[in-house]
Amino acid sequence: MKFGRRAFLQFAAGAVGGTLLSPLPWKLADDSAIWSQNWSWRPSPERGLVSKVPSTCLFCDGGCGIQVHLVNKKNAIYIEGNAANPVNQGGVCPLAASGCQFLYAPYRVSQPLKQTKARGDASGFQPISWEQAIGEVGAALGKMRTSGNSQGLAGISGRPRSSMFHLWRQFFSAYGSPNLFQMPSHADSLELACMLTLGHEATPAFALERASYVLSFGANLLEGWGAPARMQSVFGQWRQERAGIAQPKIVQIEPRLSLTATKADEWIAVKPGTQCALALGIAHVMIKNHLYDDFFMTSQVVGFEDWIDAGGNTRQGFKSLVMQNYAPAQVAEWTGVAAARIEEIAGQFAAQEYAVAIWGEDGGKTPDNIYSDLSFLALNLLKGNMQPGGMVSLVPPVPLEVLPEVQMDQWAYRGLQQPRLDLTQTRQLPLPGNGLYAFLDTINRGGSPYSVEMLMIYEANPVYSLAENRLIKEALGKISSVVTFTSYMDETALQADLILPNHMALERYDDVIGLPGVPYAYYAVSRPVLPPRLQTKHTGDVILALAATIGGTVKGSLPWKNFEAFLQSRVKGLAAAGTGALAGKPGVQPWALQSGQAPKSNYKNPKDLWNKLTSGLCWYGPPVDALQQINTASGKYELACVSLQNRGVNVEDAAVYLPHFAPLTPSGDAQAFPLLMMGYRRLNISSEYLANPPFMTKTLWDFLLKGNDLFVEIHPETAKSLGLKQGDRATLTTPEGEVKVRIRIFAGAHPGTVCVVHGLGHTAYDEYIQDKGININDIIEVQMDPITGMGTVWATRAQLARA
Amino acid sequence: MKEEKRSTSGRTMLGGLFFIAGLIVALIVGWVVFPKVLYSQKTQPMNFSHAAHEDSACEDCHYFLPDGSYSGTPGIENCRQCHEEPMTDSEQERILVEEYIQKDREIPWLVYGWQPDNVYFSHAPHQAAELECVQCHRDVTADEEKLPILYENRWTGYSKSTMKMVECEKCHAERGASNACQTCHK
Repeated sequence: MKFGRRAFLQFAAGAVGGTLLSPLPWKLADDSAIWSQNWSWRPSPERGLVSKVPSTCLFCDGGCGIQVHLVNKKNAIYIEGNAANPVNQGGVCPLAASGCQFLYAPYRVSQPLKQTKARGDASGFQPISWEQAIGEVGAALGKMRTSGNSQGLAGISGRPRSSMFHLWRQFFSAYGSPNLFQMPSHADSLELACMLTLGHEATPAFALERASYVLSFGANLLEGWGAPARMQSVFGQWRQERAGIAQPKIVQIEPRLSLTATKADEWIAVKPGTQCALALGIAHVMIKNHLYDDFFMTSQVVGFEDWIDAGGNTRQGFKSLVMQNYAPAQVAEWTGVAAARIEEIAGQFAAQEYAVAIWGEDGGKTPDNIYSDLSFLALNLLKGNMQPGGMVSLVPPVPLEVLPEVQMDQWAYRGLQQPRLDLTQTRQLPLPGNGLYAFLDTINRGGSPYSVEMLMIYEANPVYSLAENRLIKEALGKISSVVTFTSYMDETALQADLILPNHMALERYDDVIGLPGVPYAYYAVSRPVLPPRLQTKHTGDVILALAATIGGTVKGSLPWKNFEAFLQSRVKGLAAAGTGALAGKPGVQPWALQSGQAPKSNYKNPKDLWNKLTSGLCWYGPPVDALQQINTASGKYELACVSLQNRGVNVEDAAVYLPHFAPLTPSGDAQAFPLLMMGYRRLNISSEYLANPPFMTKTLWDFLLKGNDLFVEIHPETAKSLGLKQGDRATLTTPEGEVKVRIRIFAGAHPGTVCVVHGLGHTAYDEYIQDKGININDIIEVQMDPITGMGTVWATRAQLARA
Repeated sequence: MKEEKRSTSGRTMLGGLFFIAGLIVALIVGWVVFPKVLYSQKTQPMNFSHAAHEDSACEDCHYFLPDGSYSGTPGIENCRQCHEEPMTDSEQERILVEEYIQKDREIPWLVYGWQPDNVYFSHAPHQAAELECVQCHRDVTADEEKLPILYENRWTGYSKSTMKMVECEKCHAERGASNACQTCHK
């Protein structure tokens, strides 16, 4: 017997047969399905007891109540909405749902960093201790102050609807600098529009919960307008079948077919930038057909009829101006909307009892042309929406404890006497507001009467997110020292000399004061849902530490032990005011409150209020009628902005006092740049301080972002005239620069426009965020409003050519 | 010719023997050796005698939280309620008290039914459907003195008694519960 080749093959055949008759191959095949689940390098969340900690979301101004799911009380795994919060009613936006990615992001700044090489070189950042960081900044601030240049400190703050901004303001005032600015928002121009018409700074609010007809002039309701989660739930209510209640009609007026436009009852594809003209055209029809309250418009309003100025001259009133200049035929020419259609919309708008006009094309991210804001307010006024209980009221102030009066020493007094840098001898703005652009312009032109030695940037990423960001990049080059207070290594942090990392939003106390466009008073507190992961420090505590280092009256003006104590002191005022109550369970409807009708208080004392606020309950109060707190010289709504007379405006021009269509012309040659580039936003792309987290980037269509290529939208006709086809690579050029893009031919784009999404094209952070698409802010142009000095954005001239 | 024939049939017989030898070896490897090699035997960090806790109700340690979620593997806070100090001379109880309760350390229990991360399993609806615990778990009421050995699959890392998807699906199908993906994979 010999075990030869033949025997071996026979043995092997038997072995194969035997193996197939045993569980070995089948078990292994079955196990292979779950084998990959336990690869050692595969991330796996820790298991343990899951608890939910309620808090308030700080990722935008929307003020949503959230519940953070924690494993073993220390690892955040999930963020969901708090059903007891009346704003979001259990819902959250994609950004909040992705929030844990910010907490564990590799691009978080883990400790204070000091730049030792040239600005922008990430390898030059050296870790330093908090003692050294605060010591160095404190010493530099002290030196600037005693050398008489306290005004040389400037600040740019994000999160304006927070007590943090009040603390910053207190610090700047006590230190002696007038140069504290906020990141731009639509509230900036709205506040000034209310200042002109109502005599005090306020922003309008809209009772959308009870609207029956919504005329939306480009307000991107589903893409971040106002308080985003509130809008999602309101939109949901509008679209619900309710017995006996007709669904409201939504008319979306904007050049591009946005998500909101697709969900509206009607989309009116108006020519870019002409919504204001359309509003005035509608006003014309309403006046012509006498579809307004004559008694109200003459008795409560200044400037509807012709009026007499301080010099005794008769001035043209709104009625006459609109009748003269905004006839439907003329407006049709500007807007591309047929005259008959304008008549029809005006008729519908006037006929509906709960009709409201809303506006704000950029989701509240940028200020509007002041005359646009005034025109939309005027349309609502004409509709009677500003009358008591009307559809338009004011975002009510929250009666938090006022900060103690700033103690001033000679340095502070001297510093505050210096001109604010948005207002210089060469630029006298009639109506100054949050003049960040004017400030940057002054620095870039070398027009500052004193040197800006230090710029502090808090929770903002202007190097990325400021429209025409070239301006801030240029300005940073002219400022000796840049200190940022951020949680992330973003584009702005990269340009800093010193980064003092703030606790991330889930790790700190903070608050939300009032909501954009929301008619009821609102206040909510965010509390740390888990201990800080890294060597970060609450910026509020850093400000207090800096004040203590400087000492004297600066320290005296900021007497709080820490930020938590400061916030508690503010809540004391809220408790004492007794004008609101806490919403602790689902079903509370603050929007049903009438003006002056305070809900029954449901807290015992300030401590109880604080405890309830930090356990996830929010405070709400009644609305404020627009005409309730009027503070104009006439005591009436000033449709003709009479107060501009005292503000150095060219009084010869009659229209200057009145709402009118005054588009700011984009720069550049219309021949060389025949297209108009317009930005748009999406709710699943974060475009401001926070970068788009990978969870959200995954949700983008591949006809918006494919690999690293960004697609821009153009109309088929535009594509044809430019010889471009679907998916073509092209160069997009504006007077500000050029970028490489790909083409998406989209019938929803307006002919002659290029639509570019905001929020992509980061250069900082990590490989999962950077270089995805292009940043529109690199090539966008800002037009400065001549009255307010604010940087407005509507369109930039552009050219597309096949690459 | 005859010789040749004989020789061929002898080869065939021998060949059959080689084939059968191969078959038997493979069957032994597949049925006996493979299961032994595939699983490593793991013992729990300390023993727990269910029999010694007969005076307690199951729900004292295995309970639902107020929000409806299941409490999971009992933590030392459960043990601490009775064993802050040793109650007997048992060596295992000494380990429990000195090594875990006093040091405030959780016992790193090995879980016999560890499910993958991509499976969402909730005990609550299964209890509501009146399933008996022993339908999925071993019966510990029969005087279990010693925790059984955990057989860990060397390849997949899962316990031998981890329930696989097919078993979930089978029961769901039999009882008319949904087998849609999102029922378990959320």
